[in-house]
Amino acid sequence: MSEILPMSLLPSLLAAYDRERENLIPLLQKMQESFHCLSPETVKAVADHLHLSENDVYGVATFYSQIRFIPPGRHHIRVCDGTACHVRGSDRILEAVEKSTGVQPGQTSEDGSFSVERVACFGSCALAPVMVVDDKVFGRMTGTATRKLIEGKE
Amino acid sequence: MSTIKLSIDGQEVEVEQGATVFQAAREAGISIPTICDHKDLSPYGACRMCVVEIEGVRGFPTSCTTPATQGMQVSTRTKRLTDLRNCTLELLFSGHPNSCFACPHREPCETHRPQATKAGRSTRCGFCANREECDLREMVLTSERQELKLPVMYSAYKLERDDPFMDRDYNLCVLCGRCWRICEKIHGEPAISIINRGKWSKISTAFDKSHLESGCNFCGACIDICPTGTLMDRYARWQGKPEHESVSACILCPNGCSVKAENKGGKLLAYTMPGFEAEDRLCALGRFGAAQIVNSTKRLTRPLVREDGDQIPMSWDDALQSVGKGLIARRGTVVVVISATTTREERFIYDRLATALQGHLIVLPFEADCETPKIKELSDSVQQGKVQALITNGPLVSPQILKNVEFSLVIDCLESMASQLATIVLPSAILSEVDGTFKTSSGKIRTLSKSSILPGGARPEWMIICLIAKVLGLNGFDFDRAETITSLIQDDPAPEKFEREPRNNCRDIPIRFRGHLVADFVPGLKAFELPTTLVDEAEDEICNGFALLEKKEIAPNMHLLIIEAPQVARFALPGQFVILMAKETSERSPFTLADWDANAGTISLIIEEVGRSSRELTSLTAGDQLAHVSGPLGLPLSIQEKGTIFLGGGCYGIGAIFPLARILHEAGNRVICMIEAASSHLLYWQQELAEVCDELLIATKDGSGGMHGGIQEGVSSVTEKEHINQCIIIGCTFMMQQVSDLTKTFDIPTLVALNPIMVDGTGMCGACRVSIANQTQFACVDGPFFDGHKVDWEELTLRRNAYAPQEIQALPQGIHLTSCLPTSTLKMGD
Repeated sequence: MSEILPMSLLPSLLAAYDRERENLIPLLQKMQESFHCLSPETVKAVADHLHLSENDVYGVATFYSQIRFIPPGRHHIRVCDGTACHVRGSDRILEAVEKSTGVQPGQTSEDGSFSVERVACFGSCALAPVMVVDDKVFGRMTGTATRKLIEGKE
Repeated sequence: MSTIKLSIDGQEVEVEQGATVFQAAREAGISIPTICDHKDLSPYGACRMCVVEIEGVRGFPTSCTTPATQGMQVSTRTKRLTDLRNCTLELLFSGHPNSCFACPHREPCETHRPQATKAGRSTRCGFCANREECDLREMVLTSERQELKLPVMYSAYKLERDDPFMDRDYNLCVLCGRCWRICEKIHGEPAISIINRGKWSKISTAFDKSHLESGCNFCGACIDICPTGTLMDRYARWQGKPEHESVSACILCPNGCSVKAENKGGKLLAYTMPGFEAEDRLCALGRFGAAQIVNSTKRLTRPLVREDGDQIPMSWDDALQSVGKGLIARRGTVVVVISATTTREERFIYDRLATALQGHLIVLPFEADCETPKIKELSDSVQQGKVQALITNGPLVSPQILKNVEFSLVIDCLESMASQLATIVLPSAILSEVDGTFKTSSGKIRTLSKSSILPGGARPEWMIICLIAKVLGLNGFDFDRAETITSLIQDDPAPEKFEREPRNNCRDIPIRFRGHLVADFVPGLKAFELPTTLVDEAEDEICNGFALLEKKEIAPNMHLLIIEAPQVARFALPGQFVILMAKETSERSPFTLADWDANAGTISLIIEEVGRSSRELTSLTAGDQLAHVSGPLGLPLSIQEKGTIFLGGGCYGIGAIFPLARILHEAGNRVICMIEAASSHLLYWQQELAEVCDELLIATKDGSGGMHGGIQEGVSSVTEKEHINQCIIIGCTFMMQQVSDLTKTFDIPTLVALNPIMVDGTGMCGACRVSIANQTQFACVDGPFFDGHKVDWEELTLRRNAYAPQEIQALPQGIHLTSCLPTSTLKMGD
């Protein structure tokens, strides 16, 4: 993951985008990429830039699970719960992740080492159930394999 | 514009190009059910109730989002559509409290409770202020199938009370999106939006900020357009459905906005927008403040005349005679001071009176205080003796002037420093009580029409002036209606422009109305930092009384309070109650002891939030102090071995039967406990009760847990299996009456714990009088337990409802009482 940018760069980041509503999602993604998560400050800045209400921007941001409001951990674990993974037992993978990290989906552990996210589909259905740790895909997972994988990351 | 023709249910319909199928049907008078559609909003397609079948189109499109096309063949009421809509309605209702529809006792219950119970959260129709106006309820009651099979998923959101004028219960929301859509339409950037996704979708603000921070200007449009009871006007919430609507104008500032005055029984409930367009919007003062001003407890209602230093209430005739005497002697030295926010007719007639008395009229800019130059000038004239008599329609002049003039007449609607200092006070009509016209600062003439009943002896100002003129023997005041004055008005000036725009920023609300600080009558305005002479209730003296050790909302609206009260705990016996006061200024209210611990010196109570006093108590948090705990009061239940005892509890009664079950069980009885609730997520203490009785039965009105029905059904089913020697029932009056009527037919001795209005709890005041076998008894000292077969239930119900309007008026309108509860204490409906 890239370094967190200083907030002072916010105006120049916004300036690269026209003030059109269609730029809302690209801007939210840019904010997350630059600052690793969204904050009241960035939501307000995006809203002001696009002449939208903050409430609208927040509504859109909270609709997408890819948009975070909590900084991710050093290791970001994404567990697929799409149809294929779901029927192949993704709930057991998620349970194993929760047990080994003590983190619920959407949360980051207190020491900042892990964050967990439940994702609808990675497009790797042939490998179901799938999890992605720090952008690396792990397929045909089991509870034991999950625990081992996470222990190795600690 | 070109038109197109289509066929809807075989009827040929012609509409303008661009209309939707739904609009075409509406124009043709064909009704298609919908929740999310509104004629003043653009199509949204959220609720999916308006599905139709169109020849050649696959599936079931929503008519609100489908453009009508030439030659379209539309069907709106096929069997398949009815099935689909029923299914959709069921899904909508799975997230909206619906137990009342499945309740076998709904009709008698609603007859018993013509008005909904003013609970905190609306957990069922019977607890919902929107009951009479609910679109969802209407749909279920008019549909053939009222059976809802899906389980209720109660969201358990807290009741949001953290803004000055709204109560928001998102547990009732069906996400039709009308509220944020109207907000966007009127204000451009909506103050609310749909946040989150799926099951957790909710109307809220960015980062759950208070509406005070989210850009909300409190125009109330969202409340007026909400089809459920989710968004409520806190002041009007429990007053019921408006019976009368009329177009009028608000004269609280020189903008003179057009309003729709909503009245019930001659009482103004609210000024609302005359339409759902941006130009119809109102400011928070007009929308939420007008009704609070008109219905204020500080209204002047009787003429007052100063005699020997004191103001004495008098009849109109006597007061007018005194006015006549006071003015005739001071002809030529009279000044009339009125505010610019006075109707044209009244301004005209004040002017005519001033002229007739050889005095002059001063019209003050609407927000002026006593520091304006015109008043300073007046003060000098009074000092010099040039002005000896003053007539004014509000606290518009300084107290010094009122003290220095020989004679002062205040014609006003509200109490003030001026009314206290005046020689004579005459009570006047205001806002929705007035007929007339008003010139706005932009020069438009708006008509005010009287729609509310005047309080006490109050009269319209033009009439008061005509009456004074008659006493003085002046000509030219022979008017019997405001309308007859209107035609005489020529070239009257428009009031000075109000520089701020409160409709665009709620912090720009005018501070004063006719010299009165508006926040003195509309406490919620304190949130905008408007000046007031009111003392913040939160700053009341801190109580030093009884420590609240624990407080938990164990089911929606149902709170467990554990209080340190060693003396009560030491002497308490099962069946007794205590009287609590949250603050020194609170009302005394009785609550049955649910448990106590003599060693720890604590008592436990289950308190249901159903009004002001219970709300004050349930708003306390652990660590707070209660002003008073008196008790134990009442006669304890006599404990004997009787055999099989059936204990029935509903609502707060679930907690109240707990100590009875324990002791009766210890005394060797077979104890059957039965508890009821509207829905399973409203039950509590199942485990606790199960441990102290022989058998625990459960009933829910929607069948979501235990037996379908209530205590009644439980008694019937138990009697089929075994003989009951004694029934003891605690709960609402309706339930106790129903069960008593039933056990009478089975000949089972039945005790009920009566809950009349009570004041002192020691037999002095008589408020808790009940008739038992035609004998007067006091529930506080002779009760609370009485023979259910001998109670005069009708009288009890009437007496309990005796103060219903006052109880509604007493509900706090400020924002300091917030209901904060951790969601972890709440259970989901599944």
